[in-house]
Order: sequence, then C-alpha cells, then structure tokens
Amino acid sequence: MFIHNFKYALKTLLKNKMLIFWTFAFPIILGTFFKMAFSNIEKNEKLDIIDIAIVNNSEFKENETFKKSFEKLSDENDDERVFNTKYVTEDEARKLLENEEISGYLIFNDTPKVIVTSSGINETVLKYVTEEILQSEELVKNVIEHKIKEQVKNGTIEFNSFDVFIENLQKEALEMLKDDNVNIENVSNKNLSYTMIEYYTLIAMACLYGGILGMVVINQNLPNMSNNGKRVAISPTSKGKVILSSVLASYITQLFGLFLLFIYTIFVLKVDYGNNLLYVILLALVGSLSGLSLGVFIASVFKTNENLKTGIVISITMFGCFLSGMMGVTMKYIVDKNIPILNKLNPASMITDGLYSLYYYDTLDRYYFNVVSLLVFSLILIGISIISLRRQKYDSI
Amino acid sequence: MKNVIEVKNLTKEYKKLKAVDNLSFEVHEGEILGLLGPNGSGKTTTINCILSLLNFGSGSIEIFGKKMKPTAYDIKRDIGVVFQDVAVFEELTVYDNIDYFCGLYIKDKNTRKKYIDEAIYLVGLNEFKKFYPKQLSGGLLRRLNIACGVSHKPKIIFLDEPTVAVDPQSRNNILDGIKKLRDLGATIVYTTHYMEEVEILCDRVIILDKGKIIASGTNDELKELTKIEEKVSVEVIDLDDKYVRKIKEFDNVDEVTYKNHVLVISYKKGKNNLGELIEYLKKESIKYNNIFVERPTLNDVFLELTGKELRD
Repeated sequence: MFIHNFKYALKTLLKNKMLIFWTFAFPIILGTFFKMAFSNIEKNEKLDIIDIAIVNNSEFKENETFKKSFEKLSDENDDERVFNTKYVTEDEARKLLENEEISGYLIFNDTPKVIVTSSGINETVLKYVTEEILQSEELVKNVIEHKIKEQVKNGTIEFNSFDVFIENLQKEALEMLKDDNVNIENVSNKNLSYTMIEYYTLIAMACLYGGILGMVVINQNLPNMSNNGKRVAISPTSKGKVILSSVLASYITQLFGLFLLFIYTIFVLKVDYGNNLLYVILLALVGSLSGLSLGVFIASVFKTNENLKTGIVISITMFGCFLSGMMGVTMKYIVDKNIPILNKLNPASMITDGLYSLYYYDTLDRYYFNVVSLLVFSLILIGISIISLRRQKYDSI
Repeated sequence: MKNVIEVKNLTKEYKKLKAVDNLSFEVHEGEILGLLGPNGSGKTTTINCILSLLNFGSGSIEIFGKKMKPTAYDIKRDIGVVFQDVAVFEELTVYDNIDYFCGLYIKDKNTRKKYIDEAIYLVGLNEFKKFYPKQLSGGLLRRLNIACGVSHKPKIIFLDEPTVAVDPQSRNNILDGIKKLRDLGATIVYTTHYMEEVEILCDRVIILDKGKIIASGTNDELKELTKIEEKVSVEVIDLDDKYVRKIKEFDNVDEVTYKNHVLVISYKKGKNNLGELIEYLKKESIKYNNIFVERPTLNDVFLELTGKELRD
C-alpha cells in the first residue's frame, strides 16, 4: 500500500506542470537571470577597489585592531585588497565625500562611525567590514576577560610571571585576529561576493518552494480539501501510511529539483559552493525538509482552497528570500542589524546564512546553528500538522 | 431480507440548520435503494455520515451488523462510493486513475488488473484507457468517476447523483451499468433528484425533504399515496369555460385545468377515463390534436406531500 501510494504520488507530482514550473524551472530561470544581471557587476567589483577615508584622530591611532585591519585590507601589495584608504582629518574626509572621491569615511569617537551619503554596494561593504571588525574585537575582549577571570578564580596567576601571562594573552588575541573565525584576514573580494548571496537565496527559495509539493499531496489526501481525499478517506487504508508515503514522494521530488538546480548552478552558471559540498547537500536536505514542513503545515492548518494555499506558500517563500537578501544583500544587512529575530525565524535566512557561513567561515559553529534551527523549525511545524491531521471525521466537508 | 445498512435516529446539524433530522432506515441486501429529494434535502450529508466522513450529533450506523467508524477497514473494504463531484487525478490516465483507487483496496496486481479491465468494460471506456481526464467529455468523465468507485467489486455501492450534467447517451450507459452491478450482487444506495431515474432503477425509494423522511416504499406503494390514478393531457386550440366546468362534473375527476391550450384532467381512479373523454369531445365537436395519458409520478407524490415540486 505504501509503495502503491508512493508510486502514484510521485507520478502525479512529476506530471503536474504548475508544480514542476515552480519547483524545478523557476529557480533555474531565476538563477540564469541572476547570472546575466550580476556577472558584470561581480567582475567589476573584483577590479574596483573602494575608495574610503579614515579620520586619523587619536582614537583611531590608539585602536590597534582597526588600524591593523584597515592596513591589511588596504595593502597595495595585496592583489585582492578591498580598500584604497586615505588617512585624513575630519574636514578633509567630509570634503572628499562631498566631492564623491570616496564612498564613505570612518570616524572614531567612542565607537567607530561610518559616514556615507548614499547606499550602494561600496557603502555596504564599508559598513559590513566595520561591523565585522567590531564584532571580532568584542569577541577577543570577551575571550581575554574570560581567561583572566578563569585564571584569577583558579588562583593560577602568579604576579612574578604576570608579564608572561599578558604576553601570552596578547599572542592568543593576535592569533584570533588572524583566525578566519573572526573574519578579518578572510575579508577579501572573493568572500564578499554578493552574487553568491543571491545564489544562496535561490537555493533557499528552491528548498522552500518544495512546500508547494507538500501542500498538494496533503490536500489530495484530506476529505475536507479535495474529492480525491474523500475517496482515500473511505478506503480501507491507514491515513498515516497514505500521508507518509505521499509526503516522502514530495520530498524526493523536491530533492530531485534541487539536484537539477545544483547541477545547473555548478556546471552552467559556475557557482562556487566552496570545498564543503557535503555540508551544502546536508543543508539542502534540511532546508528542503523545512520547506516541506511549511507546505504540510499550511495544507493541514488552513482551511481554504488549493490556489490560495499555493499563494500563501509562494508569498512566505518570496518574502523570506527578500529578507534574506535575494533582491539585494543590503536587506539582509538591515534585517540582521535592526530586527535580528526576524532572520532567526526566517527559514530562507537560515538556509542562506548556513550556506554563507560555509563559504565565509572556516569553523562550522554558525553552519550547525542554522542546521539545528531549521530542524527545530521543521519539527515544530510537523508537530502542529500531525495534531491537525490526526482528525478522522469532520464537522463539514 | 437481510439488512446490510441500518441507520437509526441519525441527526446532523450545521450550526442551527438540521441537515439530517432523526433519520432511520435500512438497506436490504441486493436492492437498489433510491434516496430521492430536492437539493439540500440531506441526501449527501446522510451518505457522508454513513461513510464516517462527517461527525453527527446523535444516532447510530451499522454496516454488515457492525458499528461504522473511520478505522473500520474490514467494513470499508466492501464499500464503493461514486461521489457527486468527479474525483480523479488530472495527471493520470484513465487506466492509472482506476488502478490507483483500486489499489487502495486490492493489493494483488493480477487481480487488480482483471478488476480494472472489467470496470473499464462496465462503463464503456475501452477506447479511452490511455486518455487523460481533460481529454474526456463530461459524460465519459462521469463514467470514469464510476469506474474508480466500483472497480474493487464492493458489496455496497453509494452513488451520489452520478448522472448530473450528463448527456443522454452517457446517462443510459451509466444506468445500464448500475443495473449490471446490482445483477452481479451489489447492494446500491442511489441518491438523485431525477425522479425518472428512481422510477427506472430503484426497488425501493425513500423521499427526503429538509433532512426528514417524508415517504418510503416501492414506486407503486408511493404512488398509491396520491389521490389521483391517472392524468390525461389534451391539446385543444380553443376551449370554452363551460366545457371545462362540465368535464369537472365527470365521475372520478379530481381536478381540471386549461392553460396554454392544454387541458389537463386528473382522475381519482384509472379505468375507462380516456374513452369517456374522447366521446365527449366528439359529441361537443371540440377539435383536439394530441392526447397524453400519464400515471402519477413521484413528483406528484412529492408535490402532494410537500406542496412543492421536486426540482424547486
């Protein structure tokens, strides 16, 4: 029975033109548009070094982290340098910005402040890099504070060797700054590829569009949703078996669509997913599960017609992808900065961020955080759906 | 006669509306039971309650002597349903649609193949096995709908208005198919608001209105409930009122109307009425064209019991 239903669920899904368009063709078409629209931008971006200025006041001079980071990012001998930095006074910086000779400038008072007059890729890069350095600095401070507290608590600090202790901490801190984990060494044009974020949101979109498949198969099996569902409900077949086999069929169909998308993006669009393809695949599997659970949830909880439900899945997916940077990476930056909880709840953002973290960081902490978040998201939705789907009789059909 | 379905005091309410009101009836093994009533009389709701698709307020339903419930798979195995709305997959061919639904009942592939072929033959879709539903006409689609519901050879078949919006040829084919199913031993519950179909098909009829049974019995038993036995309609170009008044005075005449050049005479008893009428028309030199003689229909029964037409 399981195999019989699975076979026909697969057949109906693969022959449904509307579904195939949204889950297979649309992401590929959109990916092609991205390639056409962004390939030149990307090329130019790699060649264009961003002109910026830093107000060379005493606060900046005392901030070793920023000083060294910007020196490194503006190193003329480095082919992949990001900035062409001028060290100037505040008035000079303002004038340079007014004359559009620089994209923005950085001024240090208590905290560093990025001054820009417009919003664009260059301005976003400057803001993003400043944020990253700040976060890294904060991380290092926390680590040092923690280590000192730990040593004091354990009573292992010996005052006659205090200088050695401080020296070791400084070394550790410098090591951390070099470490990819804090993203300073690693900030390069390669890693600031905005097209990559677009492709990541595309993968996220394809994963979540799988929700339409989940929604359709649930609708086909519920007597209060479709006539076919009535037929299934009056048959001597366990509802659980029918739904499970149908959902499995939609998951496999979705993975097949993703497989095609990966093949297309890797071999035709030449998208580089880094050296962690297995992790990318794991994230795609989990991301697809979250899309599927979203579709199952909408199908089982909302009592409305299939077209409206499809509209709901597509709207949630597109809005989620928009927030995670599909229509411009600035949006991801804005949401992360102002309403971080929104992207923590947004499955598209979890998938995008998970993929981005693979590419961007050398450790997997953030990646795993996103994988677990997606699993939790999926389990919650599946749990609610099961409660709704357990009903055997209806008040009206 | 053995009862295969027993419904006792079934009541189903939608908010304040009583869709089924304290309904009790039995279905005998091997019969075709007609549930006749206008739209909204509670026919489909009754079937959905029997099938355990709908919750109901009170009452009990037993099929094959066992309580019907959603997980009563041993009962469900012997039930087939043809819903009012066509329930097929647009993405599957005629053959695959039947195979899918039959496969929910029959595991063995060879048996299933045999059953599918028989169902296709029964509804006359042999030439359309590889067609997709959208390639079929409305009538053929209805036939596919029937095949999907009966291919597993159920002992009880519920047919819920299977001929709605069907061309005459397909309608005849469907009605013949239903008779064949009965001849093969199935018990059939047939809902419709077409009284002609009930008269042709059903061994017994239950007439429903506003969720209640207003009459039940065989066709003849139901017709006995009317006070007329015969109705004669005569096309007359021009007829003076004095003749209408005179005809009303004939023996056995219950009612006489003359509208749109048609004289309709309802008789309480059904013997020698036509001869007497023709004799009178000749005697008075009244010119007439066509004469129709009708026995009372179930619509007359319904009209007399409820004061409204079945199709109102």
